[in-house]
Amino acid sequence: MTWLTEWAGYLPQMMSGLGASLLIAGISIFFGYPLGLALSLMVTAKNLAVRTLGLAVVEIGRGAPALVILYLFYYGLPKFGIAFESITAACLALTWNSAAYSSEIMRAGLQSVARGQLEASNALGLSQRDTFFRVIMPQGMRSAIPGLMGVAIQMFQGTSLAYAIAVPELMKSAYNIGSQDFNYLQIFTLAGLCYAAISMPATWITVFFEKRMARHA
Amino acid sequence: MFHLLTTWKITMPLSEIADGRIAPRFGIKLDNISKHYGDHVVLDDVSLHVQPGTVTALIGPSGAGKSTFLRCINLLERPDSGTIQVAQHTIEPGKDVSSRDLAALRRTVGMVFQSFNLFPHMSALKNISFPQQKVLGRSKEEADERSMQLLERVGLKEKASQHPGRCSGGQQQRIAIARALALDPGIMLFDEPTSALDPEVGLEVLAVMRELAADGMTMIVVTHEMQFARDVSDTLVVMADCKIIEQGDPRAIMSDPQEARTRRFLRAVLER
Amino acid sequence: MTIMLTLSAFAIGIVGAVPLAVGLSSSNILVRLATRLFVDLVRGVPIIVWLFLLKFGIQIGTFKFNPVAAAVVGLGVVSIAYLAEIYRGGLQGVPRGQGEAANALGLTRGTTFYRVMVPQAFRIVSPSIATYLTGLLKDSSIASTIIVTEMVFQSQAFARQHPSVEGILPYIIVGILYIVLSLPVAYLSRRLDSRMRKAVYA
Repeated sequence: MTWLTEWAGYLPQMMSGLGASLLIAGISIFFGYPLGLALSLMVTAKNLAVRTLGLAVVEIGRGAPALVILYLFYYGLPKFGIAFESITAACLALTWNSAAYSSEIMRAGLQSVARGQLEASNALGLSQRDTFFRVIMPQGMRSAIPGLMGVAIQMFQGTSLAYAIAVPELMKSAYNIGSQDFNYLQIFTLAGLCYAAISMPATWITVFFEKRMARHA
Repeated sequence: MFHLLTTWKITMPLSEIADGRIAPRFGIKLDNISKHYGDHVVLDDVSLHVQPGTVTALIGPSGAGKSTFLRCINLLERPDSGTIQVAQHTIEPGKDVSSRDLAALRRTVGMVFQSFNLFPHMSALKNISFPQQKVLGRSKEEADERSMQLLERVGLKEKASQHPGRCSGGQQQRIAIARALALDPGIMLFDEPTSALDPEVGLEVLAVMRELAADGMTMIVVTHEMQFARDVSDTLVVMADCKIIEQGDPRAIMSDPQEARTRRFLRAVLER
Repeated sequence: MTIMLTLSAFAIGIVGAVPLAVGLSSSNILVRLATRLFVDLVRGVPIIVWLFLLKFGIQIGTFKFNPVAAAVVGLGVVSIAYLAEIYRGGLQGVPRGQGEAANALGLTRGTTFYRVMVPQAFRIVSPSIATYLTGLLKDSSIASTIIVTEMVFQSQAFARQHPSVEGILPYIIVGILYIVLSLPVAYLSRRLDSRMRKAVYA
């Protein structure tokens, strides 16, 4: 019971941290998805140079740990005179991350569109533009939705890494509170519950979507 | 069955464009079409001339190249060599084809697929109207009016707002036929239009195709429906081993095939 | 250290996930709900929170986790949850007809499960497991935040000692190292996959 009362006391500070976490996740998704779509097109482009560039951006974004990219933006780039606020660096790093992951999911989604759809569009004489934007993309994006929601959850959890570059997000708030009275067990449990309170329902919604779409496929 | 066709011809042809005008009928000349994938030959120097307003049925064992040949006509498959003449256009697919020629070809030639290939994210009406707006530049009102007219003719007016997923296979295929007709094609290609359907459901699709044939639409039909091939087609073309081995009057070929390979195939499909 | 962390956590995960996967596909609704809740809870909390909880939060008498132990246990527990979910998907991916056929042949439940379902499920999940392993490799970097001297920690230390213009280099090198380290896993899984495909279909 005492835990609950103490948690109530911590909550205001935790909530502002949670707000920062949600903001960073929101920004990285908002910019990451469109960039991901662009990357997925680059990766499937005919032009070798475009394809190689796209592939490199995707593979680094997925292959290197988010923490490393975070450090690269925050500690690495300032040495070239490009300095960011810690929160900006976090947004940039996670945007790269989410763009790379979502590009793979979108590419798979676009490729899952039945070949017949392309053939029908061609046979009808639709332009390449119309074929892509009106026929292929709406279908491909639809099947990518659960995966993209997964990326969003992953990004939200990923914001916890921004702690490492002193962004005042949820994890950092928890750490600050904890270092005042060394009640680490309590405070990190509360932090974990905060993350879970958002991630778990989001996962359930994703699974629900996935099941519904499997039924209608 | 055959005399039924005359009663089928009702007041308004299925392929009417507007005010009783009918889309111009085109013939098609395909000469020396060849295609291979790597070492594997799919079409070996195939030629076929189709007169305007006639129905050609393409039959033969699977793997004979029927579908590939049909898909070469509107360049869904790119032949390695040969010439295609449709209306006033001559296309040599072995060389570079300008996008203008390609667009003109595909506007003249409508196609119906075995797996319907309706756009699942659009309603039946939208499936038919959307290409009209984009390809022919019709206004939404014009396009919708034409679509509704065609949906009524294929007996699916009440399905206009439904998505393809809510329609049976036979209904989807009739919508697909309406979608192709809406672009006022001079020639219609059918790639095994009833193969994915239950036999009974296939009948409703065949009925629409019979009506279209009676209108005088130029049609090339890849099919396993021997009854349809015999009753409706003007020319029967038998393909085997990447070639056309026999062509002519359907009744004559079916009752008295000249080639041993044709005989073997017909025996297999007719005497089961 | 990075490799050691990854492999020990992976070993914990791959074994520990088995009972959970069985629980997740149990016909008893209570067992299923309990395991489901556990798995989702573990996955719903970021790894860094687990590590901090173990490293700083747990103190029983004089016992405290040292950084490496906290990292191994934390990553291990998270692996258990993720892999359990992957196993469950694999078991579900085996066509229902297989179980029915085995039942119809009169095979016992144990034989059906271990000799019919599991081998097929394993083939289905092996690509996902490989993907998870590369993910785990990257996640092990998080251990640097609780002062485990793995690759990222080393690169940071190096960057701090050499505050020159090339300070960006350690991060680039360590990033490339992660990608290089994940290559053998990807290669092995592709070989394993094609081998098993051949074994089944040839």
